[in-house]
Amino acid sequence: MDSALQPQAGELLLEIRAEEIPARMLPGAVQELGTRLFEELMTRGLSPKSLDSAFTPRRLVLVLRGLPNKEKDRQEEVLGPPVKNAFDAEGKPTAAVAAFAKKCEVAESELRIVEAAKGKIGRTVRTFAEQLAQPAGAGAAGGGEYLAATKSIVGRETVALLAELLPKILIALTWQKTMRWGAGTGPWVRPVHGVVALFEGEIVPFELFGIRAGRESAGHSTLSPKGFPVKGVEDYLAALGRLGIVVFPAERKRLLLERMTERAGALGGVLVEDSALLDKLAAICEIPGVMEGSFSSDLCALPREVLATSLRDHQSALTVEKDGALLPVFLTVMDRPDDPAGRVRAGNEWVVAARLADAKFFFEKDRATPLADRRDGLAKLTFQEKLGSYAEKSARLVALSQAIASGAGVADLAAVRSAAELLKVDLATDMVKEFTDLQGVVGGLYARAEGAPEAVWQAIYDQYRPAGAKDALPRGAVGQVTALADRLDTLAGFFALGLTPTGSKDPFGLRRAALGVVRISLEGALECDLLAALGTAFELLDEKTRTRVDAAGGAPAAPSKQPSREKALEMLVEFLRDRLTHVLGERGFAYDEVAAAMGAEGGALDFRGIAARAEALRNVRKDPDFATVAQAAKRIANITKGSEAFTFTEASCTLEAEHALRHASVTLHGEILAARASLDFAAGLRSVARLAAPLEAFFKDVMVMDPDERLKQNRIALLQSIQSEIRWLADLSQIVV
Amino acid sequence: MKSFQELILALSDYWARQGCVLQQPYDLEVGAGTMHPDTFLRVLGPEPWRVAYVQPSRRPADGRYGDNPFRLYKHNQFQVILKPAPLDVQQLYVQSLEAMGVDLAVHDLRFEEDNWEAPTLGAWGVGWQVMLDGMEISQFTYFQQAGGLELAPISCELTYGLERITMFLGLEKSIYDIRWVPDGVNYGQVRWQDEHEFSKYNFEIADVDFLRRQFDGYENESRRCLAAGIVLPAYECALKCSHLFNLLDARGAVSVTERVGVMKRVRDLAIACAKEYLASRERLGFPLLPKGPDGPPEGVAAATEVARG
Repeated sequence: MDSALQPQAGELLLEIRAEEIPARMLPGAVQELGTRLFEELMTRGLSPKSLDSAFTPRRLVLVLRGLPNKEKDRQEEVLGPPVKNAFDAEGKPTAAVAAFAKKCEVAESELRIVEAAKGKIGRTVRTFAEQLAQPAGAGAAGGGEYLAATKSIVGRETVALLAELLPKILIALTWQKTMRWGAGTGPWVRPVHGVVALFEGEIVPFELFGIRAGRESAGHSTLSPKGFPVKGVEDYLAALGRLGIVVFPAERKRLLLERMTERAGALGGVLVEDSALLDKLAAICEIPGVMEGSFSSDLCALPREVLATSLRDHQSALTVEKDGALLPVFLTVMDRPDDPAGRVRAGNEWVVAARLADAKFFFEKDRATPLADRRDGLAKLTFQEKLGSYAEKSARLVALSQAIASGAGVADLAAVRSAAELLKVDLATDMVKEFTDLQGVVGGLYARAEGAPEAVWQAIYDQYRPAGAKDALPRGAVGQVTALADRLDTLAGFFALGLTPTGSKDPFGLRRAALGVVRISLEGALECDLLAALGTAFELLDEKTRTRVDAAGGAPAAPSKQPSREKALEMLVEFLRDRLTHVLGERGFAYDEVAAAMGAEGGALDFRGIAARAEALRNVRKDPDFATVAQAAKRIANITKGSEAFTFTEASCTLEAEHALRHASVTLHGEILAARASLDFAAGLRSVARLAAPLEAFFKDVMVMDPDERLKQNRIALLQSIQSEIRWLADLSQIVV
Repeated sequence: MKSFQELILALSDYWARQGCVLQQPYDLEVGAGTMHPDTFLRVLGPEPWRVAYVQPSRRPADGRYGDNPFRLYKHNQFQVILKPAPLDVQQLYVQSLEAMGVDLAVHDLRFEEDNWEAPTLGAWGVGWQVMLDGMEISQFTYFQQAGGLELAPISCELTYGLERITMFLGLEKSIYDIRWVPDGVNYGQVRWQDEHEFSKYNFEIADVDFLRRQFDGYENESRRCLAAGIVLPAYECALKCSHLFNLLDARGAVSVTERVGVMKRVRDLAIACAKEYLASRERLGFPLLPKGPDGPPEGVAAATEVARG
């Protein structure tokens, strides 16, 4: 045996073999396993030099290196019984002393007397010998005095500790779904078949669900199922390597990508990368073999989106492109190194041919009916029980889109109308029933094939964009109008019914819809008054959302939890603002910048204005005077909080600093007016920063809370006027100085 | 390459050798082998049980008039129940593939997460779809709950889609082309007319009012049987309701709002039958339990407790 394969000092190998663990749960499970063990070891002063985790569908693996083989010996201070119980009236030790000394494994003479309170050991008062020398009865007076001992603890062997920790941690791992097996064993994710646990090559003795830990691992379930003993980490990795098993998922992913890229190149094309799909493929194999298949080139007449979605969703396959079009090939994983009889390829191609034939059938059948003729089909599709069918939603979208477009000055109202009318029509196609992910895309493709104008088909195609924080927006103004209208209708509808997201539960995807609204408003081409658009959305929904008698049965609707329209609108505005806060945070704005910008007295849903204010705050806060003003803003906020509005009169100013501040505030007023006209928030903030000196002087020289009510009110009025000027820019009291 | 009937013979032979009762299909319309009382009821309670059978499974809405090469209104499932599931059940399954003539040295076999749930049976389980060369050939499920009752011991259910497997192993382009008999009639010759006529019946001809009256009648009959303490006839009536619901659904006669209510009626029957079945077996002293020297073996009492919910 190669000496490099001998177990090293301080190494731990843990391998749990189980029936196939779901791919979605594997990464989290090994991470949790590693973290939990690491934390437990660290609390015992056992710090490993490295910790690596790995998995395959049938294995959870942990490799620790440089782990001390023993806890450190240490001393622990132990608090014993109170002196009044430990010594009798004559000052002689009671049985409690002997018991305590025994418990701490020390001689009685090594005990000492300490002060202690609430279980905490304080200063040592005297030794045990000194205590014995105390005159009889003196001890009884010593309240707050206790016996104490220094106990020597011999550190435990790491093996023994691991034998205790590992089963506990393994059993307690969290899984999204667990099961029981056999007579009722479990719960765990899947039945366990083998445990390898070796510390420095020695078996860590424990049991997991009746399986005893040992040194026996096993190969691939069908290609090399035989068990084999392993000596330690290197021997284990080498043995798996000989069987072609790659235990580290990142390595499997890397190999898959490398091999697929190479295959795509050999086919004369380029791999269309899909990192999330590669992660999945790496999690469903032990041996990262690449399966290459082809399909009839006739099928390349299908839209690329349909081909790619069918291959991805049904066969977990990646595609290869050349000159912007897909080649009639697909690449996926096989859990084996090769395909000696061509059976794997033949089988995969058979399935793909059947799937794509289905897609082609749907495509041709769908195309036989023009999109416009499918509008009636939407009446049968329920959007939401109370909010009605998709036909009703479509009618609302037409009205809402046109209102938004007119408000935002979008010229091509005809295109907006056509796009809104056809927006949801693809829900009635077979293709979308089969590939729900392709909602919108299919409608867009069909509209394009029918010769719809670019703005119209793109609006339909892009309606679900942006799908997340990184996704692109709909391509043009028309698409942005309809995408916005769709989301506002959905949000207003669900909020009107009181179906708002709670905690992690968001079954209707309202957070994502709100994120779309925020991003389109922030980054899109439209100047849209969101508040007005929401008002229209609620009006259009009014008939639907008013509590009504159930149309089908005639039974009165259940007592409604529906909020009033005003309340629903208020909640929705807050919900959208909350998403904006989130988006701005993700864009790197500091928490206080966002809070201050959100607190400005501009439009509550003027998202661009709020973002521009945050940007200005980020720039201007570096100005040294700005901190002074922000401090002052907090004082002003405190002073004016809850106060009624007073009127300022120059005549009531008595001190120079008051006059100076008044003078500065008049200047500020003019400058802010100019800044408002040009929406130059940075300029406005710089003007505010110039108040630093007069404000500082004011707070130094002037007592606002003057006993003379007239002076006091006048001073508050001055501060109120300044505050109202600043408030258009930001709530500066939120800024952390 | 094995014909349809050779596949049935190979699986029957293999599972019979594993100690399964070689049962016959249930002689009523069902949507899946799981609904056979030898699965749905036998997985309840502490009694051990091993069974294998072919179950023709009717799904009226899946019919395509015999025109679609991949879809059938009625397909045949080969169903296996192993209770309790032995620890080597996965290995037993893999060997069954070898018994079917699948040489795993040249195929790609994977188990991908697929949890099973049948709300109308109050049942769910955890398991996989078994993928052979990228095609789903079986469902492999550890039952966790049936009829709303927690299960202990745990049963393993293996379901093979017989038509699909025969078709796939022969790489046939149409279900109707597969050989039923080696060198004899093919699947289409045996079944096409059945598919065609029943698609027409299920989608066009079935009398909705008549179906509804039957549904109400069988529901009532099931309740009467339960009241009389005879659970197996009660369960048959529940199965009738389930099939009638599927027929009504295929006829487009069940609205979205109505759907939830009708499904609940079926579910309530299934759950009542499950409870009553367990009670009836207990009254009989769980006759399939191995008798220890002093009553039932250890652990059974606890398992019964859990099973009772």
